[in-house]
Amino acid sequence: MEKAKISGIQLSLLFTGFLFGSVIIMNPAISAKNDAWLSIILGGFGGTLLIWIYASIALLNPSKTLVEILQEKLGKILGNTIAILYIWYFIHLASLVFRNFGEFIATVTFPETPMVVVLVIFALILVYSINSGIEVMGRLSELFVPIIPVVAIMVAFALITIHDFSAFMPIMENGIGPVLKAAIEFITFPNGETVVFLMLFPHLNKKENLKKATMLSVLAFIILSLFIFFRDISVLGSDLMFRATFANHLTSLLIPGINVEPLIDINLLIGGGIKISVCIYAAVKALSQVLGISDYRILTAAVTTFCVVLSIWVYENVLEMFSWAEKVWPYYSIPFQIVIPLLLFFLSLRKKFEPSNAKTES
Amino acid sequence: MVIILVVFATLVLYDLPRFIKNKEMANAMIIYVFFMAASLAVSLLLVSGKRPPGPSEWIEWLLKMIEVVK
Repeated sequence: MEKAKISGIQLSLLFTGFLFGSVIIMNPAISAKNDAWLSIILGGFGGTLLIWIYASIALLNPSKTLVEILQEKLGKILGNTIAILYIWYFIHLASLVFRNFGEFIATVTFPETPMVVVLVIFALILVYSINSGIEVMGRLSELFVPIIPVVAIMVAFALITIHDFSAFMPIMENGIGPVLKAAIEFITFPNGETVVFLMLFPHLNKKENLKKATMLSVLAFIILSLFIFFRDISVLGSDLMFRATFANHLTSLLIPGINVEPLIDINLLIGGGIKISVCIYAAVKALSQVLGISDYRILTAAVTTFCVVLSIWVYENVLEMFSWAEKVWPYYSIPFQIVIPLLLFFLSLRKKFEPSNAKTES
Repeated sequence: MVIILVVFATLVLYDLPRFIKNKEMANAMIIYVFFMAASLAVSLLLVSGKRPPGPSEWIEWLLKMIEVVK
């Protein structure tokens, strides 16, 4: 295994950047309209529980990646089969984020530039970062992720004169149904997607910091998501926020006198870049472990090329992208984010409390 | 179409020396060729306007078949 190590703070920032990823442009909780803040809290609580399970799996199997845990718990054949499904899931996730990024840039920032050009240039930078290793990715997140909240707060202060602080009222006008539905979507996107970090956790230098680092990140993410939601709804109102394709971007356009649009692009570049690089890193690392390849770097360019092509192939248009993310993604993700990790968690717990292990420990 | 062929050729030529230098196993070569060939085939189909049904459609179809999604 690669000997590179990252610190608790680097993991925490990498985790926060990953969670922000494409949420900067499409927040699943917004489907609950003005009750989205309740969905963020409920979904955030569910997500925290899920991330706690992932961290527990990593702590119960120290220095082992997801592939090694699957091979150990489920046997070589079944373990490798599920590992291949996870590789597909990571590649698919990376390509969906690529597409979110491409759609945003091609619709808003560079409408005259073909999306594929934007994606290829972005991919070249990401291949370089992935091939530089996990340490470089950690340091990059340390440098860039703190910009995300700064930009969000700057936009909020710039719009302080046009806020309507009662825009999120009345509470639960349409009942609890839409709130719960949006909360479930918020659990699977983006909280549950952090299952990919099971490939990265072994690189943490001090294992005792794992739960603290992940829990702090998810807490920061929930607080900032709530902040962004209240900022957007108080500026745009519930109806416009729900109908806007990119609500965040629309909010930034309303700042009188100056154009801060590039700041939203920067946030997306940071969040999306971290999310895609983590997914591709996990996919190539898993591939190299399943196939017994010594250096994962040999596959990075090929897998990234496939992700770029898949991102263009995956949807016909932006509407299909939003519809698929809302209707299909939560159900498609359940086995990868909940069922298999829960199974691994119970198998790891059982092994810990086996009589033979207990004797050895005593 | 020509641009796509040139891009893929450049990528392969860039990676080839690393395969030779590292004396990678057949496994690595096979998986590399698989990803590159799949990417090239889909790219050529997309550029010629014959978009094949994508993975998102397969997944949606599968979930509809088992009645998870309506």
